[in-house]
Amino acid sequence: MSAFAVRGTAETPGVPPGGPVKGLPWAVLRLHRAALLVWGAFLLAALGMLVWEVEITADSVRDRMAACERTGGGLCRLQNLTDYSSTIGWASTLVYYSFFAVAAFAAGALIGRELENGTAQLAWTQSVSPTRWLAVTLAVPAVLLTVGGTVFVFVFRWAWAANRDLMGDDWTFNDVFAARGPALVAYGFCGLGVGALAGVVLRRSLPALGVACGVMYLVNHNLEKYREDLWPAVTPAPTKGVEMSQDVWQIGDGTGRFHPRSHYWPMHLVETGIVLGVAVLATGAAFWVLRRRTA
Amino acid sequence: MSRVGDGTALTAVGLGKRYRRRRGHVLRDCSFRLPTGRICALVGPNGAGKSTLLQLAAGLIRPTEGTLTVLGTSPAAARERFAYVAQGKPLPLQLTVAATLRLGAELNRARWDQPAAERIAYGHPTEQGARDGALEPTARIRSLSGGQRTRVALALAFGKRPELMLLDEPMADLDPLARRELLGALLGEAAEHGTTIVMSSHVVAELEGVCDHLLLMGGGRIRLGGDPEELLAAHTLVTGPARDLTGHTVVESRDTGRQLTALIRPGGPPSDDWQTAAPTLEELLLAHLRNPKAPDLFTEDTEAGEEKSGSEAEGTKEAEETGKPGETGEDQENEENARA
Amino acid sequence: MTTLLTSTGTSSSASPAVGRGLALSVLRLHRSALWLWLLLVVVLSAAMLWAYGPGYDAADTDLQERCRKSVETCHFPDGPAFIRYDRAVSYSTLAVTCFPFLVAVWAGAALIARELETGTAHLAWTQSVSPTRWLAAKLAVPALLITAGTAVLVPLHRLVWDQDAWLRSMDWYDRSIYPSSGTLPLAYALCGLALGALAGLVVGRALPALGVAFAALLAVYYLGNEYRLSLWPTVTVTGAKALNLPDDALQLDRGVITDEGTRIANNLACADADGVAGLRRCLADSGLDEIWATYHPRYHYWPLQLAETGVVLAVAALAVTAAFVLLRRRTATEGVAV
Repeated sequence: MSAFAVRGTAETPGVPPGGPVKGLPWAVLRLHRAALLVWGAFLLAALGMLVWEVEITADSVRDRMAACERTGGGLCRLQNLTDYSSTIGWASTLVYYSFFAVAAFAAGALIGRELENGTAQLAWTQSVSPTRWLAVTLAVPAVLLTVGGTVFVFVFRWAWAANRDLMGDDWTFNDVFAARGPALVAYGFCGLGVGALAGVVLRRSLPALGVACGVMYLVNHNLEKYREDLWPAVTPAPTKGVEMSQDVWQIGDGTGRFHPRSHYWPMHLVETGIVLGVAVLATGAAFWVLRRRTA
Repeated sequence: MSRVGDGTALTAVGLGKRYRRRRGHVLRDCSFRLPTGRICALVGPNGAGKSTLLQLAAGLIRPTEGTLTVLGTSPAAARERFAYVAQGKPLPLQLTVAATLRLGAELNRARWDQPAAERIAYGHPTEQGARDGALEPTARIRSLSGGQRTRVALALAFGKRPELMLLDEPMADLDPLARRELLGALLGEAAEHGTTIVMSSHVVAELEGVCDHLLLMGGGRIRLGGDPEELLAAHTLVTGPARDLTGHTVVESRDTGRQLTALIRPGGPPSDDWQTAAPTLEELLLAHLRNPKAPDLFTEDTEAGEEKSGSEAEGTKEAEETGKPGETGEDQENEENARA
Repeated sequence: MTTLLTSTGTSSSASPAVGRGLALSVLRLHRSALWLWLLLVVVLSAAMLWAYGPGYDAADTDLQERCRKSVETCHFPDGPAFIRYDRAVSYSTLAVTCFPFLVAVWAGAALIARELETGTAHLAWTQSVSPTRWLAAKLAVPALLITAGTAVLVPLHRLVWDQDAWLRSMDWYDRSIYPSSGTLPLAYALCGLALGALAGLVVGRALPALGVAFAALLAVYYLGNEYRLSLWPTVTVTGAKALNLPDDALQLDRGVITDEGTRIANNLACADADGVAGLRRCLADSGLDEIWATYHPRYHYWPLQLAETGVVLAVAALAVTAAFVLLRRRTATEGVAV
């Protein structure tokens, strides 16, 4: 029997040959490698789509539209326009609403699943306190979302401004409004926080996933609905009549109040603040619940 | 076989855990003390609370009453110094065996013994080469059988170089060869490094020669605690004509009308017409499990440093006997006062 | 002496009882989904009934009042009554539209994949239920419930929208309500169920199966959106008839035929001519022979719906067949190597 006894080798801790990322962050990345790859591919595809449209297809679209002038069809022009702008629109819409996927991932796979099948508890008995586990498990995706989201925002701003004459939308559109500033990243954080809270409270991956997506829908839907009220609108002077310039956000209650373009940043930053507030609250609550449950 | 440890690995005082209002207490008023350096068997019926106790010790859940100290501090503070293997042996299914060991190394950066972990995971090659069913480093956890997963889970525990190992039914999935290997490794660990080992198990016979401390759980508390040899020495199987057994604590008795067989803790030398025999550990445990009302018995004091050495009698008093054999409704309070 | 127990007589009579037992066990196992589904149906029905009756009346009277007072309100409907009505209608439409995706996601994750992952499917298979039967019950019971629920929700939805004409004029072909009317919601929901089951069997793990099922249904939905209008032959008219298309026609294309006989699409020349005489003059002036217009009239609604339903159900049938084939190949339903 003693042949199999564990002989104590020199008690040096076996530090593994590490790359730049070590310890718990390495563990988080390794465990969720598949999700990381999917997210990376998705982001690269969206970025690639934007760059491709602006650099490569814009010129051919312009050529085709010039050709349209000759045949005299308004529909032809519209067709080409929508092809171009809808591709850009798809990229921004998909990336904007990807916070649903982030919330689903956080609740389902990142937190809920690990709590459900015990691998979180495994980490807790491998010298990682529950609080540190939750912190790093959320921090790693948060860093990735920040980097990826920021890159996307800059690329999108460039792409959107590049060929204004080819695009039929304006700054008031839902996805354009959100994707041209930090709100995009804030929504990602919110998805993480809400997903984490759902996962910690429910401890089962599928119900947590459903609840997290539901909550994110409520938050986003209400923000989109009341977006125009985020900042006081401008009431036109009675003599001027209804402002008909293209670049304003008309308040839809028929009173003629509107938001000029200069209101974009205040409105956007207020929305960012609200979303970040929800994210912070949800994350804090998740930590609190976890502390209460574990030693 | 008992080694004198000068510290306490685990202490519980009045520990209680209740999950939900309706379900009642899983642990209630659980108190014991486990000195360091022991190999302790945690035995009890299904649902007695063994897993809950181990989870409390591992700091995964909070007690609702009482206190629990692990290696002298709270479970959270001692996190790096003990290892825990849950009953289901949870492992990340998507990783390979090598990646899982790497995970252990990354998470336990302060103390990790990769060779020790690998030895447990991959085993020793026999003369003919790698043994049957040996693990490949590139095998995914998902594809492993229950026993193979147990090896990986135990490898994670051993690699931590812990001072205390909390193992919840570690032998359940293992084949006989692996079981002997594991027991050997545990004994070796204890001998080399003085590791305290707490194993919950059902297979008493296996533990008999290996463990030098026993904790029997029942009714949400510890009912027997101490060196199995001392516990056995404190009990006698008596057979004889039906007679009352005042002066002795009766754990279990069976009356066939003519003959009475009883397991007792003698309060003095039994009379001559009794035949006495020493019970086996299995008989002792079964008798206690069948009779939840038998009084608790501890051969260790709950205060650290006041441990009695092996040969002497234990420091508990026998409580009053109600007179009729078979009825052992002991007063719990007397027992507590005697112990404290 | 051993006697052989012949149980052949009992096996056939046990089938209906076993079938019912299996159905009940499916319901029991997915009890929470059942409750959620019932809740959804009840809440949506209540919301739509309210929108159809009291909600509409209140909004209608309120808006007429406001319209009398200020012209702007006629074009920008507002007011608390209208907002409540609008909210009820929008949310119920959203729910009916999204419902197939919910089904796909649930079927992918919880119905099949989860059971395979945790091994409870194997439990069922060793409880005298063959894998084929198990899958059939798993598909049949939700399909029945989905059909029942859709049969309640879609007609209600139609009622609400038909009445909505004055408040918010939408046409029969409007993109946001066409897929949630007629037989399409049921078709997409059943397709979601089938794709979810197939994804669950193929992938075998709950969360990835969820993603795959969602993506698959999204792809089917997108293709349906794209090719919706080409599923039934369009109507092409020329001349004066092209000038005055029926009111609720879905105009697809307009064009001209030149004197040389070339057919040019996407061209609005002479489309605004005034009557037959004006048209003839315009054609003569521009050197054109004829103008034409292609459209779907309103009575194409049902053929288009049924054609798309057929395609979607065919996809569902394919998915179900694939699922059964895959299951048979994996499990020993006959005890011999395939």
